[in-house]
Amino acid sequence: MALHLNLLHEEILEHRQRQRDPLKIGMMVLAGFGALLFLYYMFNAYRTLETKSRLSAVERNWTKIEPEVTAADKRVAELEGVIKTTSALDNYIENRFFWAPFLQKISHCVPPNAQLTSLDANILDENKGISVSLEGVAAGREPRSVAEDLRQMLIEQLGHGYSGVKVEFKTLEDLDTIVNVGNTNMPMAHYLLAINFNPAPMAKSAASPTPDHTRKR
Amino acid sequence: MSLPKLTKDQVQKLAFSALGFVFLLYVYFTFFLGPLNRSRAAMLVTIQDRQSKLDESKDKMKKAVSLEQQAKSATSRFATLRALNPEGAPIAWFPPRIKAFFANQQIDKATARLDNSAAFKEAELSGWTKYNWLIDLPQADFASLGTAIAELENTEPLLSITRLHIQTLPSQPQFQHVELAAASIIEKR
Repeated sequence: MALHLNLLHEEILEHRQRQRDPLKIGMMVLAGFGALLFLYYMFNAYRTLETKSRLSAVERNWTKIEPEVTAADKRVAELEGVIKTTSALDNYIENRFFWAPFLQKISHCVPPNAQLTSLDANILDENKGISVSLEGVAAGREPRSVAEDLRQMLIEQLGHGYSGVKVEFKTLEDLDTIVNVGNTNMPMAHYLLAINFNPAPMAKSAASPTPDHTRKR
Repeated sequence: MSLPKLTKDQVQKLAFSALGFVFLLYVYFTFFLGPLNRSRAAMLVTIQDRQSKLDESKDKMKKAVSLEQQAKSATSRFATLRALNPEGAPIAWFPPRIKAFFANQQIDKATARLDNSAAFKEAELSGWTKYNWLIDLPQADFASLGTAIAELENTEPLLSITRLHIQTLPSQPQFQHVELAAASIIEKR
């Protein structure tokens, strides 16, 4: 058996110890890990730069389009306002009560031997109806029946255009006065009629009775 | 397999390396990757926000164009209604206009005075005011009055008669004394 002498024992041991130096190994591991982290950072930095360039492009687009959008927004709001206002005004116009057809009906109801001395008419609050007070005198052999005929005529005529028509005597009294109608002396009666009705939809849309004029819109 | 025995010095070095590793991680995430990711996340949120705004804006522009088409009749109607009343204080032009109107209808001596005015509660009519007028016609005959009222109702769509009082004149049986209460809607200018 050959004799093997190791004359460099100490040097070799020192060399081995240096090789497995934990600090050196740790530093190498750290350096490797650091390199990995650096690569990962660079990858993220690249993605961030790409995102930044996308953001710049979107911002440019937005800056370009923003004034148009603002103008469109303003215009939409303006148009919506105009539509709503026009609709509200049209609603107001459509819901008006037209007095001319009403006066025409009244004039058709009054017989020759009756006279109206006063007419007072009001639109009740929130268009809930029309309230009319008619005052006048009637002459005839039976003046009360003339007044009653007028009342019936009013119910009939107003019932054609309006709904919920109520015509009631508030007062009906004989007068001492005698009137000469067609060379005949006739007694007179004084009456006060209260009329209430609702303007029906038909009456709302009816145009005023002026033959030569159409409703202007 | 048994681990090689470490000397005290080696353990110290190992501990030092571990500390260095932890410190490296801390610095890396706190000062490098963290801010970078946060900035990227913020940019992504901004992009999403801008993108949604851009998408919305396209819809808004389309809506504006289609609304413009739809609102043509409303716009022209609105312009017509606005043009019904002249500019200036209504008290200055309304009474003369009513006087002239009834004079044209053979009803003289018409006077109109302002009773009150009120703003509308409805938001859509916030730019308009309701004026209540008292119109006095001391000498009118029933037939002319009917025609005049019909004409008034037809030519003044924003005017609504709210009260009507007709009284015969004992001294002039052919005439009646008429009082009208009318409300007119006038744009604030």
